[in-house]
Amino acid sequence: MSRHKDAGLTLLVALLLIIAVFVQPAVPAHAAAEAQSAVQQPKVLLLYDSLAAGTPREGNVREVQRQLAAYHVQVTVAALDRYEQGMMTVFPSVITVINAPDLMLSQNKPYMEDLEQYNGQYLHIGYQPPARLEQALQLSTGLAEEESATLTAGAFRSEDLKLLQVPYITSSKAEREYGSLFLKSSGRVVPYAVSSGNFTYIPYLEEGNVSRLAAAAVLKDWLRAAPAAGPFLVIKEIYPFSDLALLEELAGRLYEAGIPFTASVRPVFSNTDFPAMQRYLKALKVVQAKNGSILVNAPALMPSINSSDHTLGGKMSGFINLLAENGVAPLGMGAEAFWTYDKEYAAAGMGYFDSVVLFPDENVIHMEETNVSASFASSLYSITPEFLQSLKHEGKAMPQLPMDAAVTVNLPEDEAGLSLLLQTLDDLWITFADYKQAGHTVATDTNTVSSADGVVKVNGSTLNIDYVPEIVSSDYQYKEEQFKSFKTLFSVQSKFFIVVITVALLLFGGLLTVGYRLYRKKYLK
Amino acid sequence: MIYNTVKTTLRQGVMLAGFRASPAFIAAFGVLLITVVALFTAPYIGMADNGDFFRNIYSNGLYFSQPDYDSQYFGYFVKHFGIYQYYNENGATLDSSQSLFIKLAIGLNKLLFNSTVFDIRFQAAVYTILYVAAIYLLVEAITCRMTRKQGMIVAVLAVFIFGDTGYTAYFNSFYSESLVLIMMLFIFAAWLLLYRKQYNDYFLLVLFVISGLILTTSKQQNAPVGIILSVLGISLLWVRRDRIFRSLTVVSLLLLLAAGIGTYLNISKEFVNINQYHAMTRGVLQDSANPETSLESFGINGQYAILKSNIYYEQYGTVDVNSPLLEKDFYSKYGFVSILKYYVSNPSQLSSMLNVAAQSAFSIKPAAMGNYEEAAGKEFRAQSHFFTLYSLLKGILAPKTFGFILLWMVLVIGLYMPSFVKALKARDPRGMQRMVLIVASMAIGLSGILVSVIGAGDADISKHEFLFTLAFDLVSLLAVSGVVGRRVSGSREPAADRAGKIPNVQEGVSA
Repeated sequence: MSRHKDAGLTLLVALLLIIAVFVQPAVPAHAAAEAQSAVQQPKVLLLYDSLAAGTPREGNVREVQRQLAAYHVQVTVAALDRYEQGMMTVFPSVITVINAPDLMLSQNKPYMEDLEQYNGQYLHIGYQPPARLEQALQLSTGLAEEESATLTAGAFRSEDLKLLQVPYITSSKAEREYGSLFLKSSGRVVPYAVSSGNFTYIPYLEEGNVSRLAAAAVLKDWLRAAPAAGPFLVIKEIYPFSDLALLEELAGRLYEAGIPFTASVRPVFSNTDFPAMQRYLKALKVVQAKNGSILVNAPALMPSINSSDHTLGGKMSGFINLLAENGVAPLGMGAEAFWTYDKEYAAAGMGYFDSVVLFPDENVIHMEETNVSASFASSLYSITPEFLQSLKHEGKAMPQLPMDAAVTVNLPEDEAGLSLLLQTLDDLWITFADYKQAGHTVATDTNTVSSADGVVKVNGSTLNIDYVPEIVSSDYQYKEEQFKSFKTLFSVQSKFFIVVITVALLLFGGLLTVGYRLYRKKYLK
Repeated sequence: MIYNTVKTTLRQGVMLAGFRASPAFIAAFGVLLITVVALFTAPYIGMADNGDFFRNIYSNGLYFSQPDYDSQYFGYFVKHFGIYQYYNENGATLDSSQSLFIKLAIGLNKLLFNSTVFDIRFQAAVYTILYVAAIYLLVEAITCRMTRKQGMIVAVLAVFIFGDTGYTAYFNSFYSESLVLIMMLFIFAAWLLLYRKQYNDYFLLVLFVISGLILTTSKQQNAPVGIILSVLGISLLWVRRDRIFRSLTVVSLLLLLAAGIGTYLNISKEFVNINQYHAMTRGVLQDSANPETSLESFGINGQYAILKSNIYYEQYGTVDVNSPLLEKDFYSKYGFVSILKYYVSNPSQLSSMLNVAAQSAFSIKPAAMGNYEEAAGKEFRAQSHFFTLYSLLKGILAPKTFGFILLWMVLVIGLYMPSFVKALKARDPRGMQRMVLIVASMAIGLSGILVSVIGAGDADISKHEFLFTLAFDLVSLLAVSGVVGRRVSGSREPAADRAGKIPNVQEGVSA
């Protein structure tokens, strides 16, 4: 009896396990892998007082988020006024950004009390460094009301920086100093940032100037990040209705110049059997044959009319499969950074990829916003050639950037734009890295694409990227011919009726004529 | 044979002794009762927002005040909105006559209810009053020469058709269909009353013109209405011989024409991306045998064929529908006129699009939008079935082909043709007005279909074809009433004028 009971129980457990495996929602492979590796991911709590809208510091919180993503960190973002007691204790590292000089930070008791007892790595950016940090770094600060300065960050410098209400380090006995700030009016040279033990202080960070590279270098050290890979060249704004001939020409010119590049291509979710799509795929194969790597760009978003549209996962896997089955191997995804802060986008859209390129946010539309970011094994920080051109550095060659970076350009619109782009790349003196040299994996239910050491594999087989362009035929039956039942019968029937009706009309005509004559004879004599 | 012809003015209808109501009063009261129950008693019936409310209300000083408003799109009707208290950055524009009514409702709301929260039922109340007046005039125009029994049958028919909440649910929404409904009824009633010579001609002319102007300028799609009214309204010039009437009629027709042209020009300027996108992806490309060739005929890259059948509100798409790329290479290449030209040169495609349009031409209330508030506990997009038998039957029974629409037009025109020819021969311009009205209504209805197809393809077509479904109901009611008038009485009363001149008995359907 007991044996029967045990067997029944075992069967039940087995059944439940099977149900659990099959019933759980279809999450992309990476999402599952991510859950497993969650323990090893560096985690950072990012606190901020305000987003500094309308000030030169606007965007610096977003900048820190993007930089942390480039160091593969899972970030939890929270506004200080929503800080709850004990929040920071579970994080090994905490960053606080203070953008308001007049904020009464001491009134935020839960935060101040937790900070007093916090033993992890603490990084403070902006105004009002806490007393504990000041003590640890023996720090004193000043305020540049309106100042012209030169900021040096590693090998980069910017010589005409306008500082407005910017705090700076006047003295410190910290163990490490980063970069330098030359204040032109006083002639003083002060460190850009300092660090000692568990405490690090960056007084100044703005989104649009060299301070972002200076802060990135500090963060890299703070997070003990690995040496940076890249930079890579990423071409975006590639649509099926872009000038595909120009795309092929650009690929050819870059190939001839020995510049490896990556194309972030817009996905197509419908009409994928049309000749137009075949031409798009053909162009992508040409790109691949010219040593280009392929990324799937995030789809364009519309504000959600309702939150019940969960088709993203299916659409993305469908497009990845379509590419893979047509000999195009996507190795990662290009998306605006806010995608990593959305549960739906991160899981259903980015979950197939372990490698991403994160572009600055342009059109933020969330479906299910979260304050915890998704992190990726390979996550490139997007930077424009214009920004790099605005910096000064020693020697001709572009120095190594602190983080894994992608120099991002849009696909030119015409020949003149193409020439200008090639000239710009030439002037930058950057040795671009080949994206497929590193390990990347893209996995759907039916296809797995991977790369390592320059070799791209689709489902375990090495992909032959050689491609001789073919002309795509425009002959395509867009409209299915409707099935007509009893076609012959109706054809015969209609002919029959045409004859009958014609005869009947003639007969009636004759009768009318006869009748009219009779009428005339009888009454109109 | 003597018939008990009812003198159907309100004053005479409501008699002190024995309360003897006229058919028009009965119809108006019936519609009022049903509408009040539907719109003003719980569970309130209205229409969910499909995304269009934004442009109608923000410029008029209202905003979405509910934090979860986004989740109610399409699903639930919302009755409370916020009233801007300070600076409205959206600016106060007056590009639609609908603004007048929204502003009037806001004024009443502030006066009687609250200065910060707008209850949409104030707007519904304004519309209901106007609607009931329009129903009264319409039924009065149809039944004024009928026996009491015939009149009552028509009154019941009118309540059955126009009391349908498929029509009145629009009042609890910011869709301009509410105004289209009311103003079209006023135009029809005013024109028919002119034909009957029932009320003061000047009053009816003013009613006709004001309603025509409001209808034409209520939304861009209605631009042809002003043009149709001004062209066919020329026949009104000969209704009276006095100079003042003719001068006023000329001015009125010119005003209508100007309103039509002005609204049309506004279409070209503000052929908003959503409609322009659908006009191509859900119109030209939708049924094209070769979308690439079609695109190339507009000078657009054939690769855009990939967008065939796409919709604007697709949450995940290849390209941002508002992107500079589309502005430069797609939207800038075509407009209302070039699409019209395309359909003219591709009649087979137009014909198949018209058949697609006919599929939805007989639905009054679109099924895509829910009718209940979320608080009513109904499911998302739940439809109300309170007093909707007519719209239900119409949706099910009407043959949904364009051929049927043509047949209906031929039949109705054929029925009224003898009386028109008679009036023509008798040189009786007033007697011709009924036929002109019928043709005008049909033309307005057809313009609704054509403009929908050209302007937005098959997207949201059941809502876009509202003008047709309404014109169909008005003309059909008139025709059926005519049959009732003949069948029940076995004969008919002539359309006697007030001056005592009794026109000759006319052939065909009459009422």
